[in-house]
Amino acid sequence: MQWTPIGSEPLPPPLPPTRVDFSGNRTEFRKLVTKGAMLELVTFGFYRFWLVTDVRRHLWSNTALDGDAAEYTGRAKELLIGFLFALAILVPIYLAYFLVGIEFERWQGFASTPLFISFYAFGQFAIFRARRYRLTRTVWRGVRFWMDGSGWAYSFRAMLWGLLVFLTLGLALPWREASLERYKMQHTHYGDLRGDFAGDGWTFFKRGWWLWLLSPVALVIFPLAPFFYAEFKAREWRWWLDGIRIGDVSLSSQLPHNAFYGLYWKVIGWWTLLSTIFAAYLGGATLLVVKLSGLPAEQVFGPDNTAKSIPMLVMMVIGYFALALAINIIMRVYLQRDLWAKVLETVEVHDIGAAADVRGSGELASALGEGFADGLDVAGF
Amino acid sequence: MNELPNEASAQPAKPTIFFDGVSSRRRQVTLALGYALEIVEEGGSPVRWAYADIRRADSPPGILRLASMSAPPLARLEIRDAALAADVTLRCVRLDEHQTTGRGVAKIVGWSVAAAVSIVCVVLFGVPLAADRLAPLVPKPIERRIGDASEVQVKTIFGRNSCEDAAGKSAFVKLVNRLRDAAGLDDDSMTAGVLPTSVPNAFALPGGKVYVLKGLLDKAENPDEIAGILAHELGHLKHHDNMRGLIYNGGTSFLIGLLFGDVTGSSAVIFASRSVVEASYSREAETAADTFAIEIMHKLGRSPKPAAELMFRITGKEGGGLTSILASHPLTEDRLARMTKEDRPASGPPLLTDKEWQALKGICGSGKV
Repeated sequence: MQWTPIGSEPLPPPLPPTRVDFSGNRTEFRKLVTKGAMLELVTFGFYRFWLVTDVRRHLWSNTALDGDAAEYTGRAKELLIGFLFALAILVPIYLAYFLVGIEFERWQGFASTPLFISFYAFGQFAIFRARRYRLTRTVWRGVRFWMDGSGWAYSFRAMLWGLLVFLTLGLALPWREASLERYKMQHTHYGDLRGDFAGDGWTFFKRGWWLWLLSPVALVIFPLAPFFYAEFKAREWRWWLDGIRIGDVSLSSQLPHNAFYGLYWKVIGWWTLLSTIFAAYLGGATLLVVKLSGLPAEQVFGPDNTAKSIPMLVMMVIGYFALALAINIIMRVYLQRDLWAKVLETVEVHDIGAAADVRGSGELASALGEGFADGLDVAGF
Repeated sequence: MNELPNEASAQPAKPTIFFDGVSSRRRQVTLALGYALEIVEEGGSPVRWAYADIRRADSPPGILRLASMSAPPLARLEIRDAALAADVTLRCVRLDEHQTTGRGVAKIVGWSVAAAVSIVCVVLFGVPLAADRLAPLVPKPIERRIGDASEVQVKTIFGRNSCEDAAGKSAFVKLVNRLRDAAGLDDDSMTAGVLPTSVPNAFALPGGKVYVLKGLLDKAENPDEIAGILAHELGHLKHHDNMRGLIYNGGTSFLIGLLFGDVTGSSAVIFASRSVVEASYSREAETAADTFAIEIMHKLGRSPKPAAELMFRITGKEGGGLTSILASHPLTEDRLARMTKEDRPASGPPLLTDKEWQALKGICGSGKV
């Protein structure tokens, strides 16, 4: 990993592809999300801004490209403020939605249902703006990534493609993803390098069309569904990584098609185990309440006994929160950290020399987009 | 070239890397620890960072990554040698000043709990108060527009047209008018009708619309039963319960959604807490409407008990453990008990004659539903 200083000489000859190293400690991450999930419960969910920031800081700073680790410079307070601003904007929008809905309903029953689509459009806008926030907080070698382009133009594309996907029963999905990704990547910059997306819908289609054909089978034999989904996600990731370009730097990935089988089944296994424990806990709690009150079960849960069922209710709520907490931790460990590590170890970077002397530029974007994404429940990573 | 041989030999084997925050060029540098941290690149002018300005930046294990408050915000110094890193750490006294400490976390928890308590208080006291005060102030035209909208929906579900049999209609109008006069509602906007569906129910919509469903007429055995139920619905109109409910439900669901935000599985929590809170509010409104119905029936010299008997015939006994917390209405047996207590022998004339009653029962024509 010796690197000779470049000085003022011209660009070095093309190097062999470099790898991306992920050095994150799994135990450390598990502790981080466990603590975060507990604080999230204690703070009625307000801690989510801090947790998501810590998760990103951990993942970013342990991801090293060409020997230099990235850094996430976003802070939770920005997210909190963005969320509050987004709320202030969403409230009048919800009110307007309600009033317009009434006018539509007067004209025809349930005519306002399509208005819901406007929220979908807004969600797409939020996704774009949230990506911009995350990208402008991503720093590598002292230079940040940034984004231009318009959230509404993106949303418009997403809506049109969404309609096409709907009309073709999902067959147009690869072309939708290619088009949207191209828009996002062409408006992505690293310093003065501009991004691009070289993947095309046809390639993705060829890799995954049989999954589309087989998807009805998964509805009948549902244990197959996780396999299909894992298969689809792995193919999607690989196609996406293969298409990414930043200036002359390009990525490629050898992600095997069965890479995610283990991850999804582990999550399902944990989920089953936890649900079983939860059911057993509820059963035990019921027995306990019946035993302690010394009344037959029908009487405890019978009419006019609301007061006596309150301890039961409290135990149910506690159990539910414990379950939510455990599932929260599992999802983050497997579907964020492990998936991240698994994908990164397959990535190869070509011509990284092109990014050796990039001039920094781009402004920080506000966290309003993430606030919208949070308010509309479309938040991603 | 080698003017400082002693310093060069003191440099560790692992390189120290500097990014100046302007370009992505990776500069191999040496450090001089004097009054300030001096970053020296071979052939370049040295950069000085005051120790007090230096802060730790996120880094992978084994690397100390530093930023300076007075340098470009993205300038980074990466020290990979443990001994040198320890040396520099010792001199930078404010290295970790910006990190979230235990106290910072306690502050977040404290503020969140305060926010949660205030939201809960607003949900329990503020929103009901606002709903009670605001509902009567909603301008009539707006209320009527909302009512029109829900009327269109209701008719989409329960059948396009209300029942129009002439004799039945005049009996129905007579019954409604007597109740309305006793209730003291302004007559300008009130409309009432019977919808042809077998569901046994009745409801009031904003803007003074009352609907009885045919199924309820079929189950009823005398005019007092229907009258009691209509009086209950008029109570809802009189108390502006629709607008109150609308303001109340909108307010609570917004606030509870805000409170629980994005905790995994939060929708279940939101749904459950909303159901409990709103059900208790709706039970109160129902009880108030029952009180109103009892008053009206007494004013007309009729007993409120038959209406409760009709409800009991339809729902049967309802009570049972947890469900009573979630019920939007008081339990039918409790309502029956209450109306029975208010039972008085009839002192006024019957509300409808036998002939009118038969006409009302046939308002939708026979065997249509």
